[in-house]
Amino acid sequence: MSASIIVLIVLALAAVGFFVGRARALATAGGEIRRLHSLPGYYGYNVLIWTVVPALLVLILWLVAQPMLIENRVKSMIPEDAYADSGALSLIMSDVRRVADGLDMAVAQGVIGAGEAESIGPDDIRDRLAGVGVALGSDVSESTLAAAQRYRAMNATGTMIRSVVILLIAAAGFGMAYMRTGADFRARNSVEKVSLGLLIGAASIAILTTVGIVLSLVFNTIEFFKLYPASEFFFGLTWSPSFGGGSELGILPLFWGTFYISLIALAVAVPIGLFAAVYLSEYASPKVRAVAKPLLEVLAGIPTIVYGLFALLTVGPLLVDIFGRDGAIGVNWMSGGTAVMTAGLVMGIMLIPFVSSLSDDIINAVPQAMRDGSLGLGATRSETIKQVVLPAALPGIVGAILLAASRAIGETMIVVLGAGAAAKLSMNPFDAMTTVTAKIVSQLTGDADFASPEALVAFALGMTLFVITLGLNIFALWIVRKYREQYE
Amino acid sequence: MYDSPKTGTAVDQKDIKITARKVQVYYGDTHAIKDVDVQIEDKTVTAFIGPSGCGKSTFLRCINRMNDTIDICRVEGDILLDGEDIYDKRVDPVQLRAKVGMVFQKPNPFPKSIYDNIAYGPRIHGLAKNKAELDEIVEKSLRRGAIWNEVKDRLHAPGTGLSGGQQQRLCIARAVATEPEVLLMDEPCSALDPIATGQVEELIDELRENFSVVIVTHSMQQAARVSQKTAFFHLGNLVEYGETSQIFTNPKDPRTESYITGRIG
Repeated sequence: MSASIIVLIVLALAAVGFFVGRARALATAGGEIRRLHSLPGYYGYNVLIWTVVPALLVLILWLVAQPMLIENRVKSMIPEDAYADSGALSLIMSDVRRVADGLDMAVAQGVIGAGEAESIGPDDIRDRLAGVGVALGSDVSESTLAAAQRYRAMNATGTMIRSVVILLIAAAGFGMAYMRTGADFRARNSVEKVSLGLLIGAASIAILTTVGIVLSLVFNTIEFFKLYPASEFFFGLTWSPSFGGGSELGILPLFWGTFYISLIALAVAVPIGLFAAVYLSEYASPKVRAVAKPLLEVLAGIPTIVYGLFALLTVGPLLVDIFGRDGAIGVNWMSGGTAVMTAGLVMGIMLIPFVSSLSDDIINAVPQAMRDGSLGLGATRSETIKQVVLPAALPGIVGAILLAASRAIGETMIVVLGAGAAAKLSMNPFDAMTTVTAKIVSQLTGDADFASPEALVAFALGMTLFVITLGLNIFALWIVRKYREQYE
Repeated sequence: MYDSPKTGTAVDQKDIKITARKVQVYYGDTHAIKDVDVQIEDKTVTAFIGPSGCGKSTFLRCINRMNDTIDICRVEGDILLDGEDIYDKRVDPVQLRAKVGMVFQKPNPFPKSIYDNIAYGPRIHGLAKNKAELDEIVEKSLRRGAIWNEVKDRLHAPGTGLSGGQQQRLCIARAVATEPEVLLMDEPCSALDPIATGQVEELIDELRENFSVVIVTHSMQQAARVSQKTAFFHLGNLVEYGETSQIFTNPKDPRTESYITGRIG
């Protein structure tokens, strides 16, 4: 019986359980709902949960554990002289699985009888399987075939035991919950405990994923630092990876690029976003606000690759026309369209809705009493905003800016298209530079050996970036928390 | 109605500070204030009483044009301050509010230090030439607000860290610091406990020496304790206006009597 059929059976049983449990609860109370501890539906849900949850949990565990167990048992059947290292063994094991799957298919199509599949010899198996569309690369050795046959047999047994066990658990859960159903049973509390568990589960999945991401970075980063000295990575002034070896992998040029571009982006986004937020929350009439705010937020919905194209095709050439050779102001600062300035400006535009939308919410959260107090003292609107509203909203605004900064630091597409790929340490904002994220992409998308420092450096870069943005976010949260209650 | 109480000698000696003639206030389609005529005297505490929603706070906010900040609010009729129409086009509401200070129902100190809270108004209006003068204004205002002794050692602590009663006295001191001519108070004690209320009431009585004070209150005992003149509002109308003692002991209008004796409200 396949897993999906078992799930269907369990679900059907649970559906029955719901109605049966409900009916039994009503029956024990003599049809009088008021005499029940909980509403009848809760008794139904209680039976349903006890039928489904333990059975499905065991099924999931089983689905994970069975292939691992069988694999281990079958592995021991392969003679040790047939493989040189673990890589070769895993190749043989994938052959075993392929033969086993082929046999399954052949039996299912009726080309080979079930008995024949157990006894077929290694000589003609290749042709027979080719007949059902399973192509085997090389001749199948005797041990591989035997292992495949064993694999099939164990799988079949395991699946059968699995079906029985799961159905028994479902039935047991059903029975137990059904027996406990009665007027005095606190079904509501029991159901709510399960929904609490569900919420905790959802929260822990999010947290565990973060931990998993960090761990996956950590191991590769450690691997990298075994191959490449950390001091040269953190303090090296040159970034010139060469896949032939002898590359210099200093993070500083990339870091400088990231910092410079983010700085320009924030210099664009913070004033514009903040002024827009002040206008929208303090001056705009409700009608204007209702139209302008969603329009501004549309900016946030544009994919960053589109911004990248905008940088490449529009902003870059425009800047060259102004600051380049024979440009409008006669300076020769800019030699090509891709530059820190190009990427920074476009990224700044991308961040405007971030800053404005968050700041707008924060400014709106400043109590009206503050504004009344200031206006009542004869302050103008603008004085009120500058001296009362903005200081009161400042912690939140700083938080918004820091969040925008983490966005800027993590941005890739605009950099790739707008700032170029040259890792350079330069003060000129019209030079092409690149950032940490853009280099992570280029290091991993090449055809480098995955175990070489040139590829592994991507993880170290990622880890450094992660630590920095995490630090920024924590700092932002800390600021927001520390100053939040001031006007309450 | 406003010219009915001519009996007391104290009334005749005092100047009229604010005159309202046929004031109408609309919130959108709602007619919130109907035909209010009143004359408020200088150096007097005038109390506005009446049931919730009767328009007393709305009328109070007309006197310093705080209603301008509400989009749907419309004011008709004349309000004269020292004989000048405050709704005249040439009048800058911002300057008007410097002359007519306001204290709100809930204490609303700014999230700044105690010193900066008080110095806020004087700084905006350029009342102090230098730091020493500003220090002087701050001290004088805090003394007038009867809170100087409690905060003189921590002028640079945040104003929001004070207790509710202290915050309200800080707000009164803040309003006094801009040297207004009229002080409007919108239920200044409704968020305070009896002890703090007592302190604020005492303060209001002292403020009378320098300002014309208009106070909106829900507590009739408070109106009786602090005010010399009382106006009773009901459903947007000014029902009765006169000497506080007369309103509370011998009301002319049956509605005033029923409110004071607790039958409506």
